Amino acid sequence: MLTKLALRNVFRNRRRSAITLLVIVFGAVGLILFGGYKAITFHGLRESTIRNRLGHLQIYKAGFERAEARKPLEYGLEDVAQLRRAIQADKRVRMTTAQITLMGLVSNGDKSETFMATGVEPKEDKAMNAQRLVSGTDLPANESDAVILGRGLAASMHAKPGDYLTLMSTTTSGSLNAIDVRVAGIFMSGVKEYDDRAIKMPLAGAQQLLQTTKVERLLVMLNDTDDTAAVRASLTTLFAKNHWALEMKDWSQLATFYHQVVALYNGIFGFIGMVVFAIVIFSVANTIVMSIFERTREIGTMMAIGTTRSSIWRMFLAEGLMIGVIGGVAGLLFGFGISNLINRVHIMLPPPPGYTQGYPLRVMLQPGILITAFLIAVITSTLSSILPALKASRLKIVDALGHI
Amino acid sequence: MHQQPLVRLLDVTRTYPLGRVNVRALTGVSLDVGRGDFLALAGPSGSGKTTLLNLIGCIDKPDSGRILIDGVDVTPVPLHRLASTRRDTLGFIFQTFNLIPVLTAYENVEYPLLLQQVPAAARRKRVLDWLEQVGLSDQARQRPDQLSGGQRQRVAIARAMAGQPKLVLADEPTANLDSVTAAKILDLVEELNARTRCTFIFATHDPSLMSRARRCVRMHDGALVTEQILEARAS
Repeated sequence: MLTKLALRNVFRNRRRSAITLLVIVFGAVGLILFGGYKAITFHGLRESTIRNRLGHLQIYKAGFERAEARKPLEYGLEDVAQLRRAIQADKRVRMTTAQITLMGLVSNGDKSETFMATGVEPKEDKAMNAQRLVSGTDLPANESDAVILGRGLAASMHAKPGDYLTLMSTTTSGSLNAIDVRVAGIFMSGVKEYDDRAIKMPLAGAQQLLQTTKVERLLVMLNDTDDTAAVRASLTTLFAKNHWALEMKDWSQLATFYHQVVALYNGIFGFIGMVVFAIVIFSVANTIVMSIFERTREIGTMMAIGTTRSSIWRMFLAEGLMIGVIGGVAGLLFGFGISNLINRVHIMLPPPPGYTQGYPLRVMLQPGILITAFLIAVITSTLSSILPALKASRLKIVDALGHI
Repeated sequence: MHQQPLVRLLDVTRTYPLGRVNVRALTGVSLDVGRGDFLALAGPSGSGKTTLLNLIGCIDKPDSGRILIDGVDVTPVPLHRLASTRRDTLGFIFQTFNLIPVLTAYENVEYPLLLQQVPAAARRKRVLDWLEQVGLSDQARQRPDQLSGGQRQRVAIARAMAGQPKLVLADEPTANLDSVTAAKILDLVEELNARTRCTFIFATHDPSLMSRARRCVRMHDGALVTEQILEARAS
């Protein structure tokens, strides 16, 4: 009976209940949209960070991280073929690729600039889809002296595809070495600071410049990011079994920018959540207080004919709960609909800080976000009716009956 | 053996703060109400009728004195602990009917039975029976705002009686009704009193109601002044 009473009372003053429900729906939709936007941003950033740059796992020679190397590639990996075969035996592994990073000077004869180069295996690097070519071609598969330049660096060097540049760097034995390279193409990663210094060159070319046969690291790409921890564990076992002195990092340990973005967005999401929480609390509390004021004599009557204080309290609490449930369900439906609409109309957003390209606004509907939005609606609505409900249950019957 | 009165008031006093002064609503009232009585509390406005009903109805507390309902001293018990007494022993009829507006006539009558946890089948039978007794079987599904004043008061009477109380308290039950409807309501209440032997106490200044009472107690300035026994009605 209390449930029936509560439900009917919710629909008694329809306009007021509708306004309260609207507030809850707005709050829930806001949470769903922002949560969905956050989810897709995290997902996109994570996958692009992994697939374009970091790989899921990176393997180095033991001591690589802690030791300050005195010479380039002092802690480099030698003869990675056996290691790669062992790793690629795992079905969850999509591919492995070796890399070297090096720094030095690039010159066009008239002018020199510092560069940061990554020596990559062209075929595997292409599979990683690391960059977008602005002009020219990608790294050719079997040409060790071809390079591609970041857009900023190419502009600074006045270089275009087909031009020749000289790269100079310190070799693994500590002496200086220089090689001439042909500009195959110009690329952009979207991060301006990176594009102003970046060179990609074939691993063989980098090894030639550094006069070594070693590689710096081995990147492991998986089919599914969710397998990272499991694969890491099995690789650790594999290394121990073969007594390979290696160390390993996963993408999460390397993706500083990703973690900064996650922390920022979570902070904003938390703040929005608090605002929604506060608005719903005040709105529902106001509705219940008004309702109690209007129904004072009714409450007095109910108590006079034997309704207990706790029943009155529970009835108003149930009203808050029902407002929350109805608002939460409506919020889910609207949130779902609006999310789908947004995903269909392709709204473009301006480039984020540090990027040169905009991206489409998309919302990812995850069960976790929907459940959170629904629970926040229900819990805040119920919480905000606790005090007014308590007040109603403490009314003096005689005063309540005399209330007009 | 002398039968214990259903209601016994012993030297009951009640004072209300009204602004900065205290108003004495009741001064040393003592009264016994026997089982099956049909008693009218008469007197002008402010004479303490409603206060007395509230005290007997366990919805207000006296400042001093004692109140015994069905032999139990309810004076020291906090009001919220008397919910079960109100539920099981008492029935209320209000001047303004005080039905629960979101419930139908049927549900309003059913409400006290739900509080008493009467099983579903028995509850349904009793609700339908009472709606029939007050002549509202056809209006069972209507809500209070769809009923006339007289019909609403009949629902209120059915609600008060359905819980099978020993005592029904009615505060000016006919004050909001026209004379013809009021007379019908009084006929009904009188008939119920005679048939069920349930005790009725009215607060009223309606002479027609007073004339129907078996006992009429007049109040003035918070005190009982005269008592009239109209035994003729009993026969």
